[in-house]
Formats: sequence, structure tokens, C-alpha cells
Amino acid sequence: MENTLINTHVKLLAFDFNTLTPLPSDSSLFSRTASPTPLSRAETLGLITSRDLKPNKFLRFTIDDGTGCISCILWLNHLSSPYFSRRDPADVRRMAEVADALACVVQVGVVARVRGKISLFRGVVQITVTDVGVERDPNAEILHWLQCVKLARKCYDVLPCSSSQVDGNCSGTSITSPVAHKWMDADKLST
Amino acid sequence: MASPAISFGALVTLKELTSTSPHFKEGASLRVTGKLQDYNVETAIAIINDGAATLQVDTQHLKINFRISSIYQFIGELHIDSPEEAVLKARVGRNVDGIDLNLYYQSLKLLQEFQSDQIRKQDA
Repeated sequence: MENTLINTHVKLLAFDFNTLTPLPSDSSLFSRTASPTPLSRAETLGLITSRDLKPNKFLRFTIDDGTGCISCILWLNHLSSPYFSRRDPADVRRMAEVADALACVVQVGVVARVRGKISLFRGVVQITVTDVGVERDPNAEILHWLQCVKLARKCYDVLPCSSSQVDGNCSGTSITSPVAHKWMDADKLST
Repeated sequence: MASPAISFGALVTLKELTSTSPHFKEGASLRVTGKLQDYNVETAIAIINDGAATLQVDTQHLKINFRISSIYQFIGELHIDSPEEAVLKARVGRNVDGIDLNLYYQSLKLLQEFQSDQIRKQDA
């Protein structure tokens, strides 16, 4: 039961994400201070505040969600890395095209939703990006904060975590604002 | 774990940003939201407000088409000339017309409560 979040993109606020520590038994898995549940993937949403492009190598960028900054890396080396040499060349070309398209989306000043694997680089936890989407709704970030708070309190901090909780269908929220409920219910309907 | 090198913009409302606020410090990285009251094309100084509270924002590094009465959000560093005069040197900015400001302020309170709870738990 403790492994139920391993393949879930957990929605974490940056201040929480930056305290993740690798498990001694498996460095590809991480845990939060508040809960020992192993995590491997994360989702964040915030303003992109820096962008460092190394063409055909990688794009490193930073997401600021108001509680901290999360470092993200998008690999762009599919056509030169030996890591992909055993894969079908057509698949690798397609992966490279997708990564290039995602890199174009990442611009300083836009609000983006980023999903990917949690990894560690020079002692800093980061997201190795698999997906980026621009959020144009000015309220998207607020909804993300509320979802992070609700999920942390009702799912991530609660052990054992059932699959229905992971899907975000937790009941009995402790958020008392009726406006917040309106937004959370709207989100539940859209998923 | 170490944190990324870039400072994040702490969420603060213009009403909170008085000379007695813990955020009112030289070089503090802040994220502010307000309605554009005035914009000087020559100096690139924008004045945003939230009710009676106002703040000057230096937008010289931004490429934004400003519209009076639109709502903008900026991340930058605070520079204090005097207790009555501070300028936020913006490094990031965006138009947030359509934002539900009541929801934003309520959510900010919830977020700050949650953060305090989590930090208390981590320290315990």
C-alpha cells in the first residue's frame, strides 16, 4: 500500500518539493519529510523565471510557484546520446521533435504546468521533464495551490493511501472557504 | 536538499507591503499583483494599486504592452529609497486580467497557513 504513489505525478508546492530526499534503498525514489511514501514523479505549476538553452543538449529552466523555485531539465540530446542508440531511429526522431516543441513552449514570463520524473543534480532536487503545457487561465495557479494543499492534507500525508485518494477524490476537506470548494468541485467535474 | 540558485518571489499583497512588513527589506524577492494606475513610457515605471495601497514597479527589463486599469503580476527585487518610497525592479511580469482577486487573496491565506503547518511539522 505504501507504494501507491510511485507512478503518480504528485502535485507538490515548491517549498515541499525542495525538501524531498532520495531513499537510501533506491536513489530513483524520493520521500517527503511529512510522509515516508516513496515518490518518483511530480507535477508543478508556476511562472517560468529562468531559461538556459544548450541547443541539442538540454534546456534548463526554473518554475516559481510563489512558495519556492523548482529546477527543471528538458533533455534535447536524443539524436546524439548513446542512451537512445538501441531504440528505433524513427521513434527517437519523433521523441526529439516532441522535446524541441516543448522547449519552444518554455519562455520566461509564462505560466506552465510541468510533469516529469524527480531527480537529483548536484544536491538539488529537480524535475526531468516529460511534459510541459502553458496555462493561459489567470486563475490556474490558484487552483493548483488549492489542489496541492488538499492533496497533501488528505492524500500524501495520510498512510496508507488508497487509489481513490490518489485520484483526487478525497472527501472531508479541511479547506473551509466556499470559494475554494467551488473551484475544487469544478476541477473534479473536469477530470 | 539544496535549493535552486534563483530566489523565488514571495507572495505578498500590496496592502501587506508596509514599512513594518517582514517583506519590506532591501533586495527582497517578491511577487506582487495590482491594477495598473499609471505608466511612464520614458522611465518604464509602472504604478500598480490594490485599493489605497500602491507600489512603483521598474519594468525596463520587460516587454509588455501596458494598459491602464488592467491587472498585472510582477516578480522582482525590492529597492528601498525611503520608508515611504520603494521600487520593485521587475524581472518577470504578466497580464492577469480575469483573475479572481477575492479568490486569490483567500487562497493566499490558506497557502500561508498550510506552509506554516508543514514547516512546523518538519521542525518537530
